[in-house]
Amino acid sequence: MAVQTRPLPTGRPGPPRPRRRPGRSPLPYLFVAPFFLLFAVFGAYPLLQTLWVSLHDWDRLAGQGEWVGLANFRRLLDDADFLTALFNTLSIFLLSTVPQLLAALAVAWLLDRHLRARTVWRALVLVPQYVSVVAVALVFSQLFGRDYGVVNGALQGLGLIDAPVDWTADTWSSHLAISFMVMWRWTGYNALIYLAAMQAVPRELYESAAIDGASRLLTFRKVTLPAIRPTLLFTVVISTIGGLQLFAEPFLFDQQGNAEGGAEHQFQTLTLMLYKYGFINNDAGYASAVSWVLFLVIAVVAAVNLVLARRPRRP
Amino acid sequence: MGRTRARRTLGALAAATSLVALSACGGGEAEADGTITLTVATFSDFGYKPLIEEYRRTHPNVVIKERVSQFDQHHNQLSTQIASGGGAADVVAIEEGYLPKFRAVKDKFTNLADHGANDRRGEYLDWKWQQATLGTSDFVMGYGTDVGSLAVCYRKDLFARAGLPTDRAAVSALWPTWDAYFATGEKFRAKVKDKAWFDSSGNIFTAMMNQTEFGFFDAGDRYIGDSNPKVKEFFTATARATAAGQSANLQPFSQQWNTGIKLGRMATMTCPAWMTGLIKTAAGESAAGTWDIAAVPGGGGNWGGSFLTVPKQGKHVKEAAELADFLTSAAAQKKIFTGPVGALPSLVGVLDDPEVEGAAQDWFSQAPTGEIFASSAKSLKPNYRGTKDQQARIPFGNALQLVEQGKADPAAAWDKALAEAAKNLR
Repeated sequence: MAVQTRPLPTGRPGPPRPRRRPGRSPLPYLFVAPFFLLFAVFGAYPLLQTLWVSLHDWDRLAGQGEWVGLANFRRLLDDADFLTALFNTLSIFLLSTVPQLLAALAVAWLLDRHLRARTVWRALVLVPQYVSVVAVALVFSQLFGRDYGVVNGALQGLGLIDAPVDWTADTWSSHLAISFMVMWRWTGYNALIYLAAMQAVPRELYESAAIDGASRLLTFRKVTLPAIRPTLLFTVVISTIGGLQLFAEPFLFDQQGNAEGGAEHQFQTLTLMLYKYGFINNDAGYASAVSWVLFLVIAVVAAVNLVLARRPRRP
Repeated sequence: MGRTRARRTLGALAAATSLVALSACGGGEAEADGTITLTVATFSDFGYKPLIEEYRRTHPNVVIKERVSQFDQHHNQLSTQIASGGGAADVVAIEEGYLPKFRAVKDKFTNLADHGANDRRGEYLDWKWQQATLGTSDFVMGYGTDVGSLAVCYRKDLFARAGLPTDRAAVSALWPTWDAYFATGEKFRAKVKDKAWFDSSGNIFTAMMNQTEFGFFDAGDRYIGDSNPKVKEFFTATARATAAGQSANLQPFSQQWNTGIKLGRMATMTCPAWMTGLIKTAAGESAAGTWDIAAVPGGGGNWGGSFLTVPKQGKHVKEAAELADFLTSAAAQKKIFTGPVGALPSLVGVLDDPEVEGAAQDWFSQAPTGEIFASSAKSLKPNYRGTKDQQARIPFGNALQLVEQGKADPAAAWDKALAEAAKNLR
């Protein structure tokens, strides 16, 4: 691997260029305009419209009803299902994201070494991403089937359980099964992002660590991790947003298609609850309140992540 | 010069891109050569393929496209399309359970009475017509397609193992009432311990509720699930039988349910006419002759059946109404019943047709399906559905699932169902 060295600037620096005053030419604004226009149409407008809807009694078919102020939000805070959904969302998010990112780090670390047929391994890691989420959910629902599921068969074969587990019936089992689907889909993707970051770590750092006699693990902790910190931060934020909006996996895990998330809502996530009220019960007002609260939850969790990840390391 | 021009061009391009992105939302199809395209949306195979072929021959200027999706998805999509005012197919099927939901927005649908629907009033089973007209005489929301009727499908080999009769008349005589049906289940379970009596408590409860004239809602569309004694009676009976181990605990229409049918995990199943096709597909050709069909306990009932509606937002409402009329005509319904789909006609004349009345299904031990389903379809009282019927049903189904999972006894499940239903209906 070539060692990258940046040529130092030679020649004398010229006189400083006069800095342009901002706002003279419309051109830069025109260039960034498409993004903001699109954001206004597909981001800001729906956001505000949702807020507007959430303040009304609003049937999806019949349309706008009377103004109810914050009643939908008050109802939400009193709704035991909301707390269940919030717990489920956070629980599945933690259960899937933490092991997923750790596994992705490990995979990336392995892929970063001199392997035979390197490209093949790297391509294979991404295979779960090619498969449609619907197919993944259907296959995993069968693997985690109560009566003829492979997982139950294997666990029973190993003598770990006596009776087959009804994976959809309990909180812990359903969360575990859904987390497996998420991990299956996203570990490879994150591993590739980590790999890209690891490849950008200057090799001389490793060389000097080796000269100092640092072990592999120590090198990983003291050299690799600090170097890919911005990337870690990025994946944590992205996984947080994705994890808290989890929909397809829990929706398809229960084959009823009614977004109940189990008989006791034991795996109904916030987005599933949003779908139930918005698209099955046609209670758009209440569903909008759910989506606004979900938006706030994501913002809070993302901020917490940011603070945690930015926290300066103790020497 | 060149550079400034390039910059200007780029700037214009940037502006143009955002405009294109904005305008891409509008627009529609235009037919240049006088042909029109009609879309027919259904939620499973309605058996329309040969009929559409036939229609094309007599209407060369009409191109028909079929759009088939999954049951719940189909109806939820229609809600979205109605709410947003665009995207719905020209002819859309609505199942009877979902029809009340769209009743509230009937002004978004074409009144088929304006297209001569009332001329066909006499053809239809009276209760089917009433469902389609929403109790009024001047508004016809859709043309009825099929009806479900209701029977019980049973495994002859398992009945023999339990020492029960296997002949369909004798089997029907075992259960004049649902109590007798559950009692027979006890007898069966005492002899055959490794099999369940029925597939799912949800399906049993649905069948029972569909036999009532008023179930969860009264004629004024008020929720009566908590005060109607029938609801509690049926729920408790189902829950008790389930707690006693009569249910195979299979979630209806799931993958496990299909496998359960294939492996013959239950001795009986509630059987509307359309269910026979599902059982046959799930069990496979090799199981031919093991299943038979008997009468349903509690005397007749209906489960399922659909209507073809014409959303007003379509561009060719008149032609769509004509197509819906054709697809539900007597000739069409007869063709569908005798074809692979086997959906039961909703027209009196077709039900009385000797060919339909005399129809039998080889796979179901030559059961005379024409006689079994057609005769009970004619003697039915309509089952009233409230506008929020589905929202009321789901919590009761969930509560029965809790009994199946051993998480609640029948009394606790009933309390839970009432509380959840009240919450879901506010």
